[in-house]
Amino acid sequence: MGKLSKYFAVVSVALLIVLAVSPMKDFFREWKGYQYAYNQLIAKLPQRVKPAEIGIKQIWVQKLDRVDRCETCHLGLKEDALINAKEPYRTHPRIHHDIQEFGCTMCHGGQGVATEYKESVGNVKFWAQPMLPGAFIESSCGKCHKEQNVPEAPVLNEGRKLVQESNCVACHKIEGYQKQWVPSLDGIGSKVNRTWLVNWLKNPKQYFSGTKMPNFLLSDEDADNLADFLMTFTAIPNNSQFSPLPASKKFSSDTQKAKLIDKGSTLFGEARCISCHSINGKGGYVATELGKVTSKVNAQWLYNYIKEPKVFMPDVPMPRYRFTEDDLASVVEYMQSEFVDYDMQQLPPHTPDPASYEKGLAIFKKNNCAGCHQLQAVTGFSELGPDLTYIGSKKAYEIDFGNTKIEQTLPSYLKAKVLTPRIFSATAKMPKFGFSDEQATAVTVALLSNASEIIPEEYIVRPKPSAHFVPQGQFGKLVKDLECQSCHVMNGTGRLVATDLSMEASQAQPQWIKAYFKIPYSLRPTLTERMPNFFLSQTEINVLGDYIGNVFVVDSLNRTIRTDAALVSEGRGLYYERYGCQSCHMIGGKGGYVGPPLDKVGSRLEPGWIFHWLKDPEAFRPQSIEPDNKLTDHEADALTAFLTTLR
Amino acid sequence: MFSRCAGPNSHPTERTAAKDSVSIKDSATSQSTSTQAVNLTYEQQQGKILYTKYCSVCHGEQGKGDGFNAYNLDPKPRDFTDPRAMAGIDDATLLATITEGGKGVNKSPLMPAWGGRMNKMEIEYVIEYVKDVERQH
Repeated sequence: MGKLSKYFAVVSVALLIVLAVSPMKDFFREWKGYQYAYNQLIAKLPQRVKPAEIGIKQIWVQKLDRVDRCETCHLGLKEDALINAKEPYRTHPRIHHDIQEFGCTMCHGGQGVATEYKESVGNVKFWAQPMLPGAFIESSCGKCHKEQNVPEAPVLNEGRKLVQESNCVACHKIEGYQKQWVPSLDGIGSKVNRTWLVNWLKNPKQYFSGTKMPNFLLSDEDADNLADFLMTFTAIPNNSQFSPLPASKKFSSDTQKAKLIDKGSTLFGEARCISCHSINGKGGYVATELGKVTSKVNAQWLYNYIKEPKVFMPDVPMPRYRFTEDDLASVVEYMQSEFVDYDMQQLPPHTPDPASYEKGLAIFKKNNCAGCHQLQAVTGFSELGPDLTYIGSKKAYEIDFGNTKIEQTLPSYLKAKVLTPRIFSATAKMPKFGFSDEQATAVTVALLSNASEIIPEEYIVRPKPSAHFVPQGQFGKLVKDLECQSCHVMNGTGRLVATDLSMEASQAQPQWIKAYFKIPYSLRPTLTERMPNFFLSQTEINVLGDYIGNVFVVDSLNRTIRTDAALVSEGRGLYYERYGCQSCHMIGGKGGYVGPPLDKVGSRLEPGWIFHWLKDPEAFRPQSIEPDNKLTDHEADALTAFLTTLR
Repeated sequence: MFSRCAGPNSHPTERTAAKDSVSIKDSATSQSTSTQAVNLTYEQQQGKILYTKYCSVCHGEQGKGDGFNAYNLDPKPRDFTDPRAMAGIDDATLLATITEGGKGVNKSPLMPAWGGRMNKMEIEYVIEYVKDVERQH
């Protein structure tokens, strides 16, 4: 009996010790240390800060099915006094969203339920969504915000813009992006010369630094074969023919040539090609560089192309100028005298490989050129890249890091891949885009925002459904011909480089609109992009002006403005002395350069529109920086009265 | 098992004691870029975007009061990098000036009132950035 009771005593004590382990573990928790230290820290502060109760703190976000215990150690999140404290006690930066409503891990990733340092921070093993490094934080905004310009998320917006412009969808399936227009390759053999083409294929950015075409890192042999393959396509699209160059191009003397070039230069300036095309790096950014264009294309192609752009390059968003044949010849002559590449690299003499067509076709298919460029002769399967629809949720352990030494996380992988695509595998085909470090970060942020997380619909901000207004009839034909929507928006469709025309007739006076087509003078001297002169006939101007005058009207913008002397004088006082409008606008040569000069605004704009614009500029043009002075109706009336007297 | 009461000092963070930055210096690359944005906090970065949009045209890209629009202005826009010009200007003054414009603080009406375009949080972001510009000089 004694032995049994001895055993019983030993086992009882052992049981007590074992039972004590759990409460002891709980007593000596890591986070308690942080909380005690926090209370000591705030005791030393001059401001009064409420001490933390010792205990786990969590935010339970029911709708997002998350429990985040970060606040257990990060106690100073809502205390302004701790703005300069060391982590983990520092104040959270002011942000738009309430931490209680969203929790922490929704934006930061990481293991929310963890209460130990090593299980929260960094690359926690096998946790599907490790904490995001600070540089990529905006990708979390993108998980809910699918609209075009996410407020307070500039890196995300820049990244999405880059993904759209770089045409990633040509090879990768990604949701939310559309294919960009890219020049088709039909008829390229009649357009470019072979030397230019080989140089271009080897390094596109050398000819045009702003090109979106990436570098496919082709070997010299591959570039030669691909160029030979492409140069075989000489048939012009739609079975069209080249018109011959006009006789005026054949001149008999140097002075005649100089006159022709002079005329061409003037017309080139009036046509404002530089609004869309860059010339030696200066100018618009939406079309190709023209600085060396006559070393790329032959004169006959250039003449025919400017004459009828959509025949030679289907669907190109270039307007058709109404040049006479002789005028256009002079423009081409001017371009041939100026836009030459004097340093074009000449190639060694080359005999085409007899199998160059097959080899070139294989290279064409391997690199998926048809993903961007249309080439009617090439059909059949082309190789594509992986589907990126849910790339933001890819698990780090599923990625092959090859022989590289980068940190093994998803953001690091994506950024490195975007910067130097072929470092992870010798057989990779992705071309090099030449992004800068910041651009690569932005693209990574945009890609990371495509996650497979299921988020409740009420959290998601969808892009506005894009209106698709296609003008009809004679007006519609002119709009398509002149590509107005490359710079203007009409009823929600188009690109907003210039103005939104949807309310143009309520904004500008009708006689001004028609006169503007004839002489599109510059309204805002500081802008690069200016309205070109299309050399339209009066009939065409009437069609455009009449349609705009009758259709692009918004009745609610009408307003009768009294112009008695007292109101005008009060308006003048408000303009100069109260609101200082002269800081950005010029009248009579005095004032600032930011907004358009207002010298003749009374004969240009409709009074009702001026009134409504002054009351809320952002509603009419969000990118304008005109202040909203919260004017009363009377003040706006007075200012409008004053402005309408300026004729 | 018996983990001692750990505290903040047992886990030295990799970052410096400087403000937690939205820095481009992340783990994928070993060198940081040489752009100005390298050491700005989140609020300062947001402020810089807003500053570039609304303020730089008069106050200059570097805050020197030499934006291209400053040419015709009299008085000239304030130079944030000049300690004498910025002496005695505290956060509350900056907030009032930006929100109500020059006229609202008995100064030149040439400074517009931005309270209608930016909310208080956005103006505070801009103030953070302007203070950073001041500090750099």
